[in-house]
Amino acid sequence: MIPLGVWCAYRLANAGSFKVWLEAGLALPLVLPPTVLGYYFLVGFGGTTVLGVPLVFSFTGILIASLIVNIPFAIQPIQRAFESIDPQIREAAKVCGLSPWQAFRLIELPLIWRGILSASALTFAHTLGEFGVVLMVGGAIPGETKTASIAIYDRVQSFDTAGAGMLSLLLLAISLIAIALSYGLFNPRYRQNQLGRP
Amino acid sequence: MLKVQIKQTYPMPLQIQLECLPGELHALVGPSGSGKTSTLRVIAGLMQADEGHIQCADMNWFSAAHAQVEINIPTAKRSCGFLFQQYALFPHLSALENIAISLQNAYPNTKERRVIAQQWLEKLGISALAQRIPHELSGGQQQRVALARALAREPQVLLLDEPFSAIDIPTRHALYKTLASIRKELNIPILLVTHDLKEASLLADRITVIDQGISLQTASPRVLFQKPRNSRVAQLVGINNIYTGIFSAGSLSWDGCNRILQVLDKGKIPAGQKVAWVIPQSGISVHEQAKPNSLVATVHQLSSIGQIASIQFQIRDSGVFVNWEASSAEVKRLSIQLGSEAHIEFDTKQIHIMPLRPINDPRRLQESP
Repeated sequence: MIPLGVWCAYRLANAGSFKVWLEAGLALPLVLPPTVLGYYFLVGFGGTTVLGVPLVFSFTGILIASLIVNIPFAIQPIQRAFESIDPQIREAAKVCGLSPWQAFRLIELPLIWRGILSASALTFAHTLGEFGVVLMVGGAIPGETKTASIAIYDRVQSFDTAGAGMLSLLLLAISLIAIALSYGLFNPRYRQNQLGRP
Repeated sequence: MLKVQIKQTYPMPLQIQLECLPGELHALVGPSGSGKTSTLRVIAGLMQADEGHIQCADMNWFSAAHAQVEINIPTAKRSCGFLFQQYALFPHLSALENIAISLQNAYPNTKERRVIAQQWLEKLGISALAQRIPHELSGGQQQRVALARALAREPQVLLLDEPFSAIDIPTRHALYKTLASIRKELNIPILLVTHDLKEASLLADRITVIDQGISLQTASPRVLFQKPRNSRVAQLVGINNIYTGIFSAGSLSWDGCNRILQVLDKGKIPAGQKVAWVIPQSGISVHEQAKPNSLVATVHQLSSIGQIASIQFQIRDSGVFVNWEASSAEVKRLSIQLGSEAHIEFDTKQIHIMPLRPINDPRRLQESP
């Protein structure tokens, strides 16, 4: 997920005239109702199998669905990190004789690590709490496609409020830590020193 | 030798022609937005011109004609050291690593790279700062690291983009000395972009004056100040006594004043030619008493900044003004006050005459000074 996010974010940060449309397309999962995404996934991959494993109602299916749903959370922090690198730093890398790959590996990647960590935290928290798409695509097969959020829903349905409360508290704590980590890493006071801006 | 002949229309018009010899420090001077930095960027390959040639040490870096690019060596492969105005040091790397990274491809061995980087730090007098990251360094120290990084690759040309503009005066003078000593060791062309004429004339062997993207004149500082190619160059190099008139076989009229000046006729300007003419500060003397060829003038404006006074005289019975700078002591000695009278004498040998041509006349750029 994160390598895909880094690749997409790098392309977006350096994209030309189609940037707005690419950004809009990749941010679509943020605004579309999960049921709509789930519906298109069911329609699009209903009969498809990967190495003999069907894509719907399977772990592979919810993995791929989660990948699509979470892509904006992986891309946006990394893209912002790429965009905040001073263009002169990239030019300096060129005049130092570095190839584009060397400049990416030795200069840009170390400068965007906060963005990568932030993206990881956000993606992790969001994946953990994903409900709509997972339910539509994976159902709620115990041991295979039943996620924590679906388990909470099931427990509420069966009046196990204590069990639902425990799981909810756990998800709340994990999500809070992940978000706090993400916000902390993007604190301007940290970035000022990291990016060498005056 | 670095040979540059470039032309472009977008994002800003550029029409630059210059040559810089090995060991020469060549300054590009002009007002803000005149195209000095763009010229350096085109040379480094960070921007691409529409047409022209860039040749460095017998290697073609760029060649294009009629919007068809024939040769365009990528920046990373052009052997040039570039010193950015804002240093552009890699913020996550130490001073040593910032220098070592520029040796990445020339020296595959990490240890060797670090040894060479350390040598450069020593050469620039900042070896004690090797492990510091850029934000722990002062502006002058960052500039030295950036200079070391630019030189460590042993480039064939060094490009300096306003390197002294963001640092305090004592540090600036220390860096002038560093640059002068490094220059002696390196036998490569050095291009320095600056808007500071004093700095350019102090450091450079030759200066190219650029205005609105066009290189107007290349000359040594002495020639440039005494014989500007045209009135715009004269204005840009800070000559503030620029006049117009008609030149006819050694007689120079003065628009706005009925005085005819007798000057040397070098036979280069046809009789009756409309001309602009300038006289440098060194060609003006002011007296309390009248001299055989002096002009009577009244002090029209008088302003003092520290020990230097700036005086504007108005020639009697005319609409022309003569600007003159002198020490406060000299002003006192001559009893110069607002409205007082003085006698101005021109050393006509120092008058420089330039034919006035329409702005679109190609001869404007070809005139030899």
